[in-house]
Amino acid sequence: MMRAAPGDELPPLRRIVTREDVLAYARASGDENPLHQDDEVARAAGFPGILAHGMFTMGHLAACLVAWAGNPAQVIGITAHFRSPVFVDDEIVAGGRVVAVEDDVATLETWVSVDREGRTEWPIKRGAARIQLA
Amino acid sequence: MNARAEGKHYPEVTFRVDPARVSAFRQVFDLATGLPPTFSTAAEFAVFPDIVGDPELRLDYRRVVHGAQEYTHHRPLVEGEQLTIRSRLESIRAKAGNGFLTIVTELVGADGDVACTARSTMIERGGGS
Repeated sequence: MMRAAPGDELPPLRRIVTREDVLAYARASGDENPLHQDDEVARAAGFPGILAHGMFTMGHLAACLVAWAGNPAQVIGITAHFRSPVFVDDEIVAGGRVVAVEDDVATLETWVSVDREGRTEWPIKRGAARIQLA
Repeated sequence: MNARAEGKHYPEVTFRVDPARVSAFRQVFDLATGLPPTFSTAAEFAVFPDIVGDPELRLDYRRVVHGAQEYTHHRPLVEGEQLTIRSRLESIRAKAGNGFLTIVTELVGADGDVACTARSTMIERGGGS
């Protein structure tokens, strides 16, 4: 079984979001909202261009958890609030920290940040996850 | 959005954990094996059109953003399995001029076991009245 203790930090997982990523995610997930596929629609809604799906950002966070846990089936719970948008060419950084371990389940606080024009924004902040350790 | 639709259940739909789709999902997130932890979103999208287009709920989808998402996996999904997808409107609330809709979706296996519970919160901007 893997070992984990409160305070352990997950290795951050970085990714630069491309247009192809967002379009591929729309096809795979079935979320065909044009805000995520059509720049004209996104601009009409007041954005500079298409947005990544919140679920794309959450999927990236899940990949960070899987990289740490070793197997997707160990990620038994994942929760996120979507706080700020992610655009094409943003570099998103997923991370997490163990807050408790009980009965072979680690409870984590999780996040996804993006640095934009010298400011750090948090597409996901104070997310949570539960990882089965054994 | 009509707050009186709170508690409404939607007709069950079937959803196959299509290996080709799982593979496409894994590719997006660069995962080597297994079911991506957020793949259940594809099952939610099997029933969301019924909710978005529900004339009783009157959700204005053009003003909707995804507020929050939660998955609880009771067991791993199996590639190729057929699931029954069961959704209900858990709560509808108005806060600070926005409408908050929380949808609970259960992914049910052939034995009637709930494999995954998904909770999705949609925010209808300016829809609090």
